Amino acid sequence: MAELTVNDLHLKYGDNPILKGVALTLNRGEVVSLLGPSGSGKTTLLRAVAGLEVPHAGSIRIADKVVFDGATGLDIPAEGRNLGLVFQSYALWPHKTVHDNVAYALKLRRVPSADIESRVKQALTQLSLAHLAERFPHQLSGGQQQRVALARALVYNPPVILLDEPLSNLDAKLREEARAWLRELIVKMQLSALCVTHDQSEALAMSDRILLLNNGVIEQQGTPQQMYSEPETLFTADFMGSNNRLSGRIAEISNGAALLEGTGWRLWGTAKPSAKQGGEGTGLIRLERIRVASAQGENCLEAKLATSMYLGDKWEHLFELGANRLRAYGDRPLAEGRHWLALPREELWIF
Amino acid sequence: MTRSGVLGEFPRGLTILVTATAVLAPLSLILYQSLLSAPFFDAKKTVGLDAYAFIFADPDFWQAFLNSTLIAAGMTLIAVPLGGVLAFVMERTDLPGKRIVEPLILVPSFVSPMVLSFGYVVAAGPVGFYTVWANDLLGVAPWGIYSIPAMAVIAGLTHVPNVYVYASSALKSLGSDVEEAARTTGASPFRVAATVSLPLIMPALLFSAVLIFFLGIELFGLPLVLGDPEGHLVLSTYLYKLTNKLGTPSYHLMAATAMCIVAITFPLVLLQRRLLQNARKYATIKGKAGRIRELPLGRWKWVAAGVLGFWLFVAVIVPLSGIALRAFVTNWGIGVSLYEAFTLDNFKSVFDEPTQVRAIWNTILIGTVGGAITVACYTAIGFATHRRYDGWSRFIDYLVLVPRAIPGLLAGLAFLWVFLFFPPLTPLRTTIFSMWLAYTVVWLAYGMRLIQSSLLQVSTELEEAARTVGAPRGKISREITLPLIRHGLLGSWLLVFMIFEREYSTGVYLLAPGTEVIGAELVSLWQGGAIDVVAALSLINILLVGIGLAIALRFGVRLRD
Repeated sequence: MAELTVNDLHLKYGDNPILKGVALTLNRGEVVSLLGPSGSGKTTLLRAVAGLEVPHAGSIRIADKVVFDGATGLDIPAEGRNLGLVFQSYALWPHKTVHDNVAYALKLRRVPSADIESRVKQALTQLSLAHLAERFPHQLSGGQQQRVALARALVYNPPVILLDEPLSNLDAKLREEARAWLRELIVKMQLSALCVTHDQSEALAMSDRILLLNNGVIEQQGTPQQMYSEPETLFTADFMGSNNRLSGRIAEISNGAALLEGTGWRLWGTAKPSAKQGGEGTGLIRLERIRVASAQGENCLEAKLATSMYLGDKWEHLFELGANRLRAYGDRPLAEGRHWLALPREELWIF
Repeated sequence: MTRSGVLGEFPRGLTILVTATAVLAPLSLILYQSLLSAPFFDAKKTVGLDAYAFIFADPDFWQAFLNSTLIAAGMTLIAVPLGGVLAFVMERTDLPGKRIVEPLILVPSFVSPMVLSFGYVVAAGPVGFYTVWANDLLGVAPWGIYSIPAMAVIAGLTHVPNVYVYASSALKSLGSDVEEAARTTGASPFRVAATVSLPLIMPALLFSAVLIFFLGIELFGLPLVLGDPEGHLVLSTYLYKLTNKLGTPSYHLMAATAMCIVAITFPLVLLQRRLLQNARKYATIKGKAGRIRELPLGRWKWVAAGVLGFWLFVAVIVPLSGIALRAFVTNWGIGVSLYEAFTLDNFKSVFDEPTQVRAIWNTILIGTVGGAITVACYTAIGFATHRRYDGWSRFIDYLVLVPRAIPGLLAGLAFLWVFLFFPPLTPLRTTIFSMWLAYTVVWLAYGMRLIQSSLLQVSTELEEAARTVGAPRGKISREITLPLIRHGLLGSWLLVFMIFEREYSTGVYLLAPGTEVIGAELVSLWQGGAIDVVAALSLINILLVGIGLAIALRFGVRLRD
């Protein structure tokens, strides 16, 4: 059952449209990530769901209660929506202890004080914070602050929890641990979470579904696997993963395959809907799918090695091919000069 | 943005209503009175422009207008360059000992102008301490302090702090790299100041210039004390002298003069608002907030120290030492020895007189208890506009500017009329409440700046976090925002304490048995020629402000915005 439904949401700042008709659903126990470049409207969408931004059209429903409806003018304020929101900056109240930060929502709901104590304790224990209850936020590390922010948003069992770039304030090493921990917690507690992120690897690792936003509309949505392996548009393909791009002309399309032509090379690839025979085309292939071949073979091109970089677990080679530059991974250094590169036709997408 | 229900809106509506009444009632009464041919309580009054016709036909009015303009222009020409240079020296150079000097620079802006002017009379007047000493040592004392140019110079020098605070905060937000670039091409420190730093903070200096000109038009204590001996009038003293001009209360003439003053000051206030917004915009564009490196002054050190030292001597040491000495001598003149004339009688006569003792208590009370209530009122108004971007917030924004344009003397007069005009309020006129109300309204714009800068420091997300966990607006204000700004509010209380101790002109017309405060008492005693008591009371007044200043410095309260 859908815990959160957003329908055809429009929002603008002054004359500047930010959201141009966004729809999404979030089912119980599901983690959905809003992914997109900065300015795509993902944070605005999250804030609109929370009631902190006012859309001018569309509707938002939480569980079976409509909280915003542009047509009837209904707009339940943020404090009436009963959602949990974890801010990017955590926004812990500096004048309250960890315990009081978490207990505040329960006090507002006039929960009897004995219940408050037990529920706060339970929430803090769940997030391994029990020993920090009497500390103030400034006495905590970044990771601890993040967990307090989460405890504060979870303690009153909101039907939906909203996370705004929950990991971006942690340093790189901690972030990977926190990512796994957060995913585990959400699954274990059967939470329904909507999470904003600009980091595609974070979205891939944490979500059941990803919504990719581009310029105020949803570009594509699907499971992480679909988003990564079956992009429908060039934008989606390019946004997810590290990629090589090749510009050329589409010489032929047949049976779902397209032939991309450049000066001195011809490659077959999977034709995407936007590919038009005889038009300009862009070929896109993931960095890890391109291979340095020992000799000419099927769907190969020859390029000159420009430079090689040692990355620790592998080498990254940079090749030049006219105006195109191609990168490929390899497990050993390469000699200077020209090399053959294999681009498997099912791995090369032509847009 | 949100609908917090009738209960949520009730305190806000009430706050807006009370503020609007407190600000607009006195102003409308001045306007109404200025259009009558006689005081409002006179049965024979008629509506018309007679009052304006009278003052426009009075040559004294035009002379006062001219004098006001000359003094305001003169002090602007002195205070702005000097304040800019001092700010540069203090912010950007390696002048030794500048951290100790900094609080001293702000002193003239915390001492009552009435007290400062009195200090100049006893220190540098015809028989002042420094005049007599100079005559003894050099045979001449080449200065006079009672002419219009002299008043402009004194006003200019004592208003340097007002320029200094804006120029130095603009300099703080300007990266050092532009100055270092000038240094590497071979410019001397003062060349750098004149060709790079000061032009870059031009918007702040321009704002200060308008501010100083505006303060020049408002000037009251200084021309009252220094202009009197030679009979020079400015607009505010012209209005003050009108009180007794026709024998009977000439409220209509005073109101007409007041309207003329407001007609000059109100556009200046609006201009200041615009310029300040511009200056802030400019500062954020230029401000790299990079590390500020001090410019080595080298041999220019002595020039800088000389300018700073001379200014401190003339603007701070001369008047304050004059008062301190005068408070402890019976009399002073040529041939009198300080040692022989020493006495504590001046203080004794202050403490023997119940009126003066009451004035001291009232002054302390209005600064401490009154100041706290005032800060509470300002906070309520601050919350009425906090994070709300509707028409009512804009209305309040402009509303708080209105008292800024009404000099204290006029505001006090207007409140006197309010208390006389509305019979239910009349009994309150002889209580300290009337004084407190006038003070609170007069300093509304200043106080709101303090409160709003505290409120701005609270991150929006802290309040949004409270909303999302379910707190309604009123609860957020009380339980999240208010506790977070408590240090700012304590600082504001201290600053309000200091300005309330310093205030004098607002009380002039509200002075009555029961409402005595030191500032207004000084004006009245000075008119009566009681120099000894004035000296002792002035010193007590400086002491009260000094205590506030010491506490503020101790707790690191920012003395400026």
